[in-house]
Amino acid sequence: MRARIRLQRVAPLTTIQDVGRFGMLRHGLSASGPMDRGAFDLAGKLAKASGAGIEFTLAGLDLVVESGKCRIGLAGGIFNAKLNGSKLAWPAAAAVSAGDVLSITPGASGNYGYLRFNSEFGLEPVLGSRATSTRVRLGGLDGRGLEAGDLIELTANDQNHYVDHPVPRYEEGPIRFIWGIHAHAFPAEVRDRFCSAAFAISRRLDRMGVRLEDEAGVFASTTSLSLVSDAVVPGDIQILGDGSPIVLMRDHQPTGGYPRIASMITADLDRFAQMRPGQAVAFAPVSVEHAHRLLRGQK
Amino acid sequence: MIAWPKLPTPTVLPIGDAALLVRFATVVDEQANAAAIALTTELDADPLPGVVELAPNLVSVLLRYDPLRTDPARVAGELRLRMIRLGGAEAAPSTDWVIPATFGGEGGPDLQEVADSLGMTPSDFAAAHNASDLKVLATGFAPGFVYLGLHSQHLYLPRRSSVRAKVSAGSLLFAAGQTAIAATEMPTGWHVIGWTEFSNFDARSDPPTRLGAGDRVRFEVVP
Repeated sequence: MRARIRLQRVAPLTTIQDVGRFGMLRHGLSASGPMDRGAFDLAGKLAKASGAGIEFTLAGLDLVVESGKCRIGLAGGIFNAKLNGSKLAWPAAAAVSAGDVLSITPGASGNYGYLRFNSEFGLEPVLGSRATSTRVRLGGLDGRGLEAGDLIELTANDQNHYVDHPVPRYEEGPIRFIWGIHAHAFPAEVRDRFCSAAFAISRRLDRMGVRLEDEAGVFASTTSLSLVSDAVVPGDIQILGDGSPIVLMRDHQPTGGYPRIASMITADLDRFAQMRPGQAVAFAPVSVEHAHRLLRGQK
Repeated sequence: MIAWPKLPTPTVLPIGDAALLVRFATVVDEQANAAAIALTTELDADPLPGVVELAPNLVSVLLRYDPLRTDPARVAGELRLRMIRLGGAEAAPSTDWVIPATFGGEGGPDLQEVADSLGMTPSDFAAAHNASDLKVLATGFAPGFVYLGLHSQHLYLPRRSSVRAKVSAGSLLFAAGQTAIAATEMPTGWHVIGWTEFSNFDARSDPPTRLGAGDRVRFEVVP
């Protein structure tokens, strides 16, 4: 189904994302893709969509359907959504057509929400993906974040290879990790405190990384190591020269030279991405095998 | 036919639950770099089951795998077999490049300081810098960013103590026995010694970069 959508109010760091641009690490590009992959998949399930969608941030999004019609799916965090003034459930699925106004405003929790369509964006993929990396100015709409006034063209999509993904459940408790490639470089006492101290999500967060506040001073006395620059993956927790921990996210640099104490497991990365500034976060080590059992939906 | 020297034994480390790092050394070293390139060439030609992406780094190779299709023990086991096979493998074909570059001036604000630190004149430094071909050690860090090396010991200089907020695409960066070419604007703590029109990143081409690990580069001075 074709439609034309005009964005009316857009929060900063709102971008077009699809599953990501893989295979480009060796050329110096990380994959990008949704900060909350599970929510992106759920919005897709609700819209019966396989293509790109809009990742919006805390403050939400307002838009008007200028012409055509399509089915939409909304998920991620907890937001307030209204269609023509009537409240929608969250997450939501709806059919929209010309003249409809969708308004998404901040809700109880989460940083990222997803709006997906059962049509594809009228945008050429760049290196195999429509995902935006604003850091390297690639993909999406000219590699930039979306702005009020932007027009989104949705084209009829005959190749909607919608796949019904299992919907992940968010779990409570510490964020689980695999010890990092430089964990041995941290004294045993620092490793112990990393697993027992409370950290807080700082205000310095974006699609590249989330800085943590280390109020207990776990890494206060960390001395900077001289390391060869090595591959980085989303979820890596590196300790900067000034002792601040930073969690690398979807738009990470492909390589990094700071010591990495840990890497978050895939099953907990989405939940971490949705944590808001000020929220406390604790970490617990698990084995790779345990992480894989969680990914397969086993306990 | 060039046989690789005996490869250093790698350390295989998990990075999270969907990647392994095969690391040949913990410092930048010619032999470890050659091993990382050789392993990448081998695995590109004959991929391991369940491995979805390879990324060669300076002295390591990242293997992203699909945890639903394989597990790290299986990948590590297959790797061991490949390493044995690699011992006598031929060097990967590489391309020779001549890259015109201007040293110093507006595009190379740190040339004088670099030459002073090494006790040379800027033109002597440029001549010494370009005296031998450099090898592409790896691409990464930023789109199209390439590490070239290794320079001989008498050209060794650590990074600057302060970071320049932005250098332009095409900047030649110099530090720690290496020269890098920035293909995009970026902040850097490396010394900026020159500039080239050569661009190693074009998002409209696939692959988007031209230089590959193992290629040889010779700089030609443009006055």
